[in-house]
Amino acid sequence: MIKIEHLKKEYPNATPLRDVNAEIRDGDVISVIGPSGTGKSTLLRCINQMEKPTSGKVWLDDTEITDPKCDLNKVRLKMGMVFQSFNLFGHLTAIENVMRPPMDLLGKSRQEAYTNGMRLLRMVGLADKKLNYPDELSGGQKQRIAIARTLAMDPDIILLDEPTSALDPAMVGEVQEVIQDLAKTGKTLMIVTHEMAFARAICNRVFYMDEGGIYEDGTPEEIFDHPKRENTRRFIRRLKVLNLEIDGRNYDYPAMTDEINRYCAKNQITPRLSVRIQLAFEELVHQFMASPAENPKALVVIEYSHDREQADMTVDYNGPAYDVTKHGDDLSVKVLKSMVPDIRHTASDREGYPNRVILKLRN
Amino acid sequence: MKKTGGLLLLALLFVFLTAGAFGEAGITSKEQLNQPGMKVGVSTGSSSMLAAEKEFPEATIVYLEENTIAYESVAQGKIDAYVFEREQMQKAIDSGRKGVRLLDENLDEGVIVGVGISPVSSIPDLENRLNTFIREIKADGTLDDMLNRWVTLGDETMPEIPPAQDPQLHLTVATSGIVPPYSYYAGTELTGLDIELARRFASWLGADLAFKVYDYGAILPAAVTGDVDCIMANLNMTPERQEALPFSEELYQHPIGIMVKADSASIGGFLARVKESFYKTFIREDRWKLFARGVLTTWLITLLSVLCGTALGFIVFTLCRKGNRVANAVSRFCMWLIQGMPMVVLLMILYYIIFSKFAISGIAVSVIGFTLTFGSSVFGLLKMGVGAVDAGQYEAAYALGYSNRRTFYTVILPQALPHVIPSYKGEIIGLIKATSIVGYIAVQDLTKMGDIVRSRTYEAFFPLIAITVIYFALEALIGWIISRIGFNINPKRRKPEKILKGVTDDD
Repeated sequence: MIKIEHLKKEYPNATPLRDVNAEIRDGDVISVIGPSGTGKSTLLRCINQMEKPTSGKVWLDDTEITDPKCDLNKVRLKMGMVFQSFNLFGHLTAIENVMRPPMDLLGKSRQEAYTNGMRLLRMVGLADKKLNYPDELSGGQKQRIAIARTLAMDPDIILLDEPTSALDPAMVGEVQEVIQDLAKTGKTLMIVTHEMAFARAICNRVFYMDEGGIYEDGTPEEIFDHPKRENTRRFIRRLKVLNLEIDGRNYDYPAMTDEINRYCAKNQITPRLSVRIQLAFEELVHQFMASPAENPKALVVIEYSHDREQADMTVDYNGPAYDVTKHGDDLSVKVLKSMVPDIRHTASDREGYPNRVILKLRN
Repeated sequence: MKKTGGLLLLALLFVFLTAGAFGEAGITSKEQLNQPGMKVGVSTGSSSMLAAEKEFPEATIVYLEENTIAYESVAQGKIDAYVFEREQMQKAIDSGRKGVRLLDENLDEGVIVGVGISPVSSIPDLENRLNTFIREIKADGTLDDMLNRWVTLGDETMPEIPPAQDPQLHLTVATSGIVPPYSYYAGTELTGLDIELARRFASWLGADLAFKVYDYGAILPAAVTGDVDCIMANLNMTPERQEALPFSEELYQHPIGIMVKADSASIGGFLARVKESFYKTFIREDRWKLFARGVLTTWLITLLSVLCGTALGFIVFTLCRKGNRVANAVSRFCMWLIQGMPMVVLLMILYYIIFSKFAISGIAVSVIGFTLTFGSSVFGLLKMGVGAVDAGQYEAAYALGYSNRRTFYTVILPQALPHVIPSYKGEIIGLIKATSIVGYIAVQDLTKMGDIVRSRTYEAFFPLIAITVIYFALEALIGWIISRIGFNINPKRRKPEKILKGVTDDD
C-alpha cells in the first residue's frame, strides 16, 4: 500500500504538484490522466523518488520512503518503472537487459536469471530477439523488453510513465496488449497515459490530475461516464471551451464575433457549424437585449466536443425571469428553433443571472 | 649550441625558409663576409657567437642550434659562412663532411674553455681544489698531451686511468655527449677529452665518478641547482655564463674558424649515399645499440606514463564524479595548470625544483611529468565519454535499484569507454612524440640518441629520418595494441557464445 500525504513538488519556474493526497491499495490498477503539465509524470517519479519532493511524505506500507535515511535502492527493488523512452541498457542484448538486474541485485544465478528472462521474453513475444541489441529493435519491441526487464525483478508495484507515447501509432497496440496482460497479474500498477480507451479498459481506478493535485479520483465508470467535476468532464469529453461576458447594452459586438471566429478556426470546427454558432449567438443576444432588465448582462459559455461534433452554448443572463424563446422578435425565435428544436429556458443557479438558455448545436 | 628535437626541427625549417641567393663559392677572406646581405651563421649562446657579432657588424647573423645543420646549410648555400671552433669544424671535414671548406684566417678572438662549477656542490672547497688540479696538469704537461692526442692527432684511445682507491667523495659531472672530440659516444661508450679530464680529476680528488648527459639548454641549470658538481663539456666561458655560476681557471683556448661553401665535389649516387649513411648511422661502432637503448627508454617512459596516467585520471574522475566541490575545484585547477604549461617547463620544474633534493632519476621524473599530463587528458576523456551516455541510462538503473556506484561501473562506464578509445589512442601517440623532450633532464631517449649519433656522423638528416621511422613504428605498435583493447572492451563486439556463457536452454 502506498500512502501519499501533502506531496508538493516545486521547480524554479513551475509547481506541478501543490498538494497531493492519495492512498493506493495493493492490486490497484490506476490510470493517471489529465491535461499535459499537470504533474502526472512528476507524481509517478515522486513515488519512486526519482524526483525528490519539495515537501510531503510518501509511505510504502510502513516505511516512509521520503525519509532521507530510507534505503531507496531497497525500496526500488519492490517498485519497477517503465519509461516513455524505454531506457534499455544500450551495451547489453535483450536477454542480458532482462537477466542482469536480477543477477546483480537479487543474487540470482546466471541460469536462473536466464530461464526466467527467456520466460518473460516469450511472454512479451520477443524470445527470438534475445541476442539483439536495443538499437536493432523497433520502439514497440524495445518497450516490451523494458517491461520484461521490470518484471524480471518481480516488483510489487509497477509505475508506467507514458509507455506508449514515444511509439509509432502502429506499435502502440503490441505494447498495450502486454500491459493489459500485466494488469491481470494482481500487481499494483500505476500508468500515466493519454490513451483514454486503453486507460479505461485496464484500470479499476482513475486519477484525474489538474490544478496541482488529484482533482478527481474514482472508478473508470465514475470518471469516464459520470464525472462529477467541471474540469474532468471537459477533459473526458475533450471539450473546448470559450467564455464570453456581455456587460450592458454597449458591449463590443464585432470583437465578440471575432473571438468566436478565432475559436472556431482554432478548434477546427466545420464551417457549417461555425456559421450556426455565430448565428445562434447573434439571435440570442438580439433577443435578450430586448429583455425588461435595466442593464442586460449575460455570461456565454460555448463548449465544443470534437468527438460528437457538437457545440453547447449556455447563456446565463440577469433581470427578471424572461424566456427569450417565447417573447421578443418572432423571426429570431423562428431562426433559433429551426437550428435547435428543443430550445428551453430554465432557471440558473448562478448568482445575479437567474435565467439560463442552453442550445445544443449540431453540424 | 645543441638542443632538442623540437627546436631542431624548427631550426631545419628556418634553414629552408632562409634559403639565400648567395650560393657562389669564392669567399676567400673575412672582409667579404662583413657586408650587408651576407648571412653568417653562429651557434646560439657560444663565445664564437659573441666574436662573430663583433667582427661582422654589417652581415646578417643567423642563429643556429646545431652544428650538423649548420654545416649542411653552408654546403647548400643557405648561409654564406658558419663561424665556430676551428678544431671541431676541421674534425667534421676530416670525418668526411663534403661540400664545405675552412678559410685560412681565424677570427681575432678565440674561445676560452673552462669547467663550470656548481655553487651548491656537496664537495667541500670544490673550486679551489679544481683550480689546483688544473694548475698541476698544466704544469706537468698532462693537459698539453691530452690536447695533442684528442684534438691535434685525432687519436681516440682513452688512456688507462686508475679510479680512486677507497673513494670518500662522489663526483657527478655534466657533459654533452655530442661534441667530438671532447665528449661523445664511441659505440655505446662515452669518451673524449672532457671524459679523460673528469676521470683524472676524480682520481686526483679521491672520488668515485658518475656522468650525466644533458642537452646544452639544460646543462647550466643542472649545475646551478646542484644536480651535478661540475660541467666538463668544452664549455665556453662567456661573461653571461660566468654570472650564472662560477668557472674554474681557463683550461685552454680555441681559435674560431670560418666555414664556407666548397666547390661541389662528387658525392656519389643517391643509393650509395643512403647506404653509406645507413652504415654510419647504425652499423659503425655498433651505433644501433644506442638506438635500441633509446627506444627502450622512450618505450618505458611512454608505457609507464600511460599506465600511471590512466590510473590517475580514473581515480581523479572517480573522486570528482559525484560532484564534490572541493575535489572538482582542485582537479580543475591542476588540469588548468598542467595542460597550460609547456611540457619542457613542467619537466624542468619537476626535475630541478620540486625533486631537486631527492635522488631521483630523470626517467622517474619524466614518468611523473607525463603521468600528470596524460592523467589530465584521461580525466577529460572520461568526462566526455561519460557525458555522452544518455541520462535515461542512469534513470533506468536507479529505478531498478542499482546504487550510484554500481550504476556507474555496470551501466555507464561500459557504454562510455567505446566512445573515448579513438581519442585515447590519439593521446598515446601524442605522448610518444611528446617524450622527445626528455633530453632536457638528462634522459637519453630515442631523440637524444639520434642527436648523439648525428654529432658523430655529421649527417644532418639521415639519423632524423631514421628516428622518425622508429617513432612511426612505435606508434603503429601501440596503436595496434590499443585497437585490440578497444575491440575487447566494446561490449557490442562480444560473440553470442560469450553472452550466453554458462547457461542452457531448457527448451
